[in-house]
Amino acid sequence: MTTTGIGAPVRRKEDFRFITGQGRYTDDIERPGQAHAYFLRSPHAHANIRSIDVSAARAMPGVVGVLTGEDLAKDGVGGLICGWMIHSKDGSPMKAGAHPALAVGKVRYVGDHVAVVIAETLAAAKDAAEAIVVDYETLAPVVDMNAAVKPGAPVIHDVASDNVVYDWHLGDKAATEAAFAKAKHVAKIDLVNNRLVPNPMETRAAIGEYDAGTEGYTLYTTSQNPHVARLVLSAFIGIAPEHKLRVIAPDVGGGFGSKIFIYAEETVCVWAAKKVGRPVKWTSDRTEAFLSDAHGRDHITHAELALDERGKMLAMRVKTKANLGAYLSTFSSCVPTYLYAPLLSGQYDIPAIYCEVEGIYTNTAPVDAYRGAGRPEATFVVERIVEVAARELGQDPAAFRRKNFVRKFPHQTPVIMAYDTGDYAASLDKALELIDYKNIGKRKRESARAGKLRGIGFSAYIEACGIAPSAAVGSLGAGVGLWESAEVRVNPVGTVEVLTGSHSHGQGHETTFAQLVCERLGIPIDQVAIVHGDTDKVQFGMGTYGSRSGAVGMSALSKALDKVIAKAKKVAAYALEASDADIEFKDGRFSVAGTDKSLAFGEVALQAYIAHKFSGQDLEPGLKEGAFYDPTNFTFPSGVHICELEIDPDTGVTKIDRWVAVDDFGIVINPMIVEGQVHGGIAQGVGQALLEGAHYDETGQLVTASYMDYCMPRADDLPSFTVGATVTPCPSNPLGIKGCGEAGAIAAPPAVINALTDALGHEDVTMPATPQVVWRAARKAALRAAAE
Amino acid sequence: MAMTMNGEAVLPAPRDTVWAKLNDPEVLKACIPGCQSLEMTSETEFVAVAKVKVGPVSATFKGRVQLLDLDPPNGYRIQGEGEGGVAGFAKGGAKVSLEEVPEGTKLTYDVEATIGGKLAQLGGRLINGVAKKMADEFFGNFAKAVNPEIAVV
Amino acid sequence: MTTVTMTVNGKSVTANVDPRTLLSQFVRENLRLTGTHVGCDTSQCGACVVHVDGRAVKSCTTLAVSCDGSSVTTIEGLAVDGALHPMQEAFREHHGLQCGFCTPGMIMSAVDIVNRKGNALDEHTIREELEGNICRCTGYHNIVKAVEAGARAMAPGATSIAAE
Repeated sequence: MTTTGIGAPVRRKEDFRFITGQGRYTDDIERPGQAHAYFLRSPHAHANIRSIDVSAARAMPGVVGVLTGEDLAKDGVGGLICGWMIHSKDGSPMKAGAHPALAVGKVRYVGDHVAVVIAETLAAAKDAAEAIVVDYETLAPVVDMNAAVKPGAPVIHDVASDNVVYDWHLGDKAATEAAFAKAKHVAKIDLVNNRLVPNPMETRAAIGEYDAGTEGYTLYTTSQNPHVARLVLSAFIGIAPEHKLRVIAPDVGGGFGSKIFIYAEETVCVWAAKKVGRPVKWTSDRTEAFLSDAHGRDHITHAELALDERGKMLAMRVKTKANLGAYLSTFSSCVPTYLYAPLLSGQYDIPAIYCEVEGIYTNTAPVDAYRGAGRPEATFVVERIVEVAARELGQDPAAFRRKNFVRKFPHQTPVIMAYDTGDYAASLDKALELIDYKNIGKRKRESARAGKLRGIGFSAYIEACGIAPSAAVGSLGAGVGLWESAEVRVNPVGTVEVLTGSHSHGQGHETTFAQLVCERLGIPIDQVAIVHGDTDKVQFGMGTYGSRSGAVGMSALSKALDKVIAKAKKVAAYALEASDADIEFKDGRFSVAGTDKSLAFGEVALQAYIAHKFSGQDLEPGLKEGAFYDPTNFTFPSGVHICELEIDPDTGVTKIDRWVAVDDFGIVINPMIVEGQVHGGIAQGVGQALLEGAHYDETGQLVTASYMDYCMPRADDLPSFTVGATVTPCPSNPLGIKGCGEAGAIAAPPAVINALTDALGHEDVTMPATPQVVWRAARKAALRAAAE
Repeated sequence: MAMTMNGEAVLPAPRDTVWAKLNDPEVLKACIPGCQSLEMTSETEFVAVAKVKVGPVSATFKGRVQLLDLDPPNGYRIQGEGEGGVAGFAKGGAKVSLEEVPEGTKLTYDVEATIGGKLAQLGGRLINGVAKKMADEFFGNFAKAVNPEIAVV
Repeated sequence: MTTVTMTVNGKSVTANVDPRTLLSQFVRENLRLTGTHVGCDTSQCGACVVHVDGRAVKSCTTLAVSCDGSSVTTIEGLAVDGALHPMQEAFREHHGLQCGFCTPGMIMSAVDIVNRKGNALDEHTIREELEGNICRCTGYHNIVKAVEAGARAMAPGATSIAAE
């Protein structure tokens, strides 16, 4: 390992600009002549729009334009799309209601886009929005999923008269029923996976710009995948042809999934820029972000686990209702289906699984992928029911898990996935040791003496990353393949620019991708630049989500580097007057085997551009190679997280005392960055378990729409974490990488709730387990104890 | 989000006077906190514009108000809805009843309202307090209107 | 419009502003110092923290006119003569940032914590004092380490982080 190569905790190259205030986020960009957009949003959860009168607003000072859904329709601008087709059990396609970027005739959730005002200043735009008169005919809203599917419920989209988007299933129902019939014990659980708001600290923003001379559009935006945004805006929404639309995603302040999607505001800014002949800028305020960013999770689930007399798992059946909100967001349909049910086997050898999922419309913001996307929901089901089963059987939860772990690889689960490699017991053993499991009884007694309740909770998670093998996801309904691209440009002086379709919004690609280049080409890290986030520079890419940048994006880079080295060897052979086959490349030098003749990488790069030593007929001048990499399988990061906490039964306050995470991410490029990803993921998972919950009241008003009411994890809500690792290299990609971005958020919620229920002695705790929830649960525990 | 509020006020004036003032647009305009205009559009309907501030949200509400179930001089039901532009909306109703008491007239009110939009998102936790304060202010003003001689206790 | 004069990062600036202009808008839009970020609008997240007369304030809820005559330091003014402030060094060395959006406010708050609480900060104090700054990326683990190290490095006579 070199100091800047694979496995080194290299300090991040991008940090200098961030710590000195020189980061360049979308809202920091100011275009000449830019005007400001403000969106008038529906205050009603469900209403028909009888009319919109914008005449007074148009006459207000400073107003450049006021546009509505009618204007969009007149220009032939298409609606927002959902890119993954799901079919119901009966084979019928999902029922996708129309999703215009500005409402036409009807609004379906509080925050739905009604009109846009574009003015010289944001203040002028807001003032003018006040003057728009919208005549609403309010309709009864439906917010609750169970209510939405009852006969007679308000209908949100005419195409789905029962508000059911799809009624989908996966697995072998007959085999599962047969296994349940033989079971000696059945554990049952009812769960609510609470609705969350992703909340990257940078809100969404967009600047649309139109150049009448070239007929070209530019969109600066907060995107995790600018090429996908361009593709959708061009091919589906039809704003501009792809070659006339440039999408730039500059520094992006966190995404967590919420910046994957193609939203109304960004779409409108690009279109409106031409309409008003000015660059149009929109920056979301925090309350708008709460209202209009795609939310996450929001499942209601009943699950059952069948066991034999010794506690061996036989089968699992799961029935889930998933709230998809008022419209189908870009990838919303696949999150509670193909990103969820295939993970229900967890780390366990379960012979039969059957899962049914109903996707449901409600008058709430669209729900889509949020850190983990389907996998946290699956892990919550698996790890909660496994814990309950262990408790009901009177078995140690660690030993019970170990007994049921998958041990032989590859392992085909009954729900699509073929796990390639792993050593689940190794992670469990290491985690038990790090948390000092053997002394937990002693610590519980000490807490009890102090009037506190101590609990310990396990979460043995698995996830599917490296999204994704294109043929596989295509067969499941995905509209595009999920490969990645990379291009390596070697300059004549030997410095290197890497153009990647992956996108960094905090993950540190400028460092980790450069580490791979250093490792392979043997050049100093300051001679490598990573270029991403601009469709004019990078030809195409699928972006960053699903912990895919390392496993897929860096694999593409690895392939491109192979090609660069192969070409450079040929150049070196000419320069050193040797045959190709005799050229060896090691530590940044090309040498002729068995001689002392050699050239440094930079010298060979120069020869490639000078090209005097070879003719263009033998070998093309230059040194630039590209590659597309399509994964052959998903990757399967796994691990064990253990949470140990203490409850004050008098106040309901939960204090996390210890957190141990032992993850198997395969080969790690930069352990410092990987640990940082784990920390952040745990914090979001703890947030879900203890603090965060998006709440709509019965009239469809989002009452948690600012940081005054939506509880974000803060420094004093969390402990320091103990992070360990085990390594089984991933066999399906050239680097052995599995992915690490979502693990913490996937593992953490069940670890916390298993610890809380362990401390309380009963299972009746819902997320978020706020002090009020925990206080009530502790009283219930006390009453129960008194009654016994 | 739903909001309920009820209360009573004893007004130092005879019931017929109170009833008359409750139906006098000029009096209502003077008493409603932040009221900028109030125009009768029929015997029982009027349109009003009022400026309201709830925590960080301030809004100018334009509303249509209807008087229903008129039962002079015992009371009526007042119902309306107002749009506050980007701040959101409020709609609801109040049952107002008048009863003769030794000190004058006891007015009892029972309000049920729903609010939405930014008011609910940012002002939701403050709305009950603001509504109570506005009600107190209204009845303070109204007591003076029905009997300018007597200061309100 | 109102005239406002203040010293920002050591330079005197005078501008005519709408009286409702917030300090965050003033530094970002008038002065184009975009290192100060706005993350929440309700004074909760701390991405907008700057120093006014040596004390940390949330610039998204401070009127620019209220800072007339004051001396303001933003993240751009923390490094002196090209040398990073020890707290900036500490954030980089300890990986106390990921997306970087909360970072300027975090660093400005951290410096203020040291100014108020001294150079020997324990984890508990740091976590409590960071209550007004939200980070969504790091889980705070490495921010806490960075603040602790930065505080030590800010002590008179301390060696720089990079030299540790």
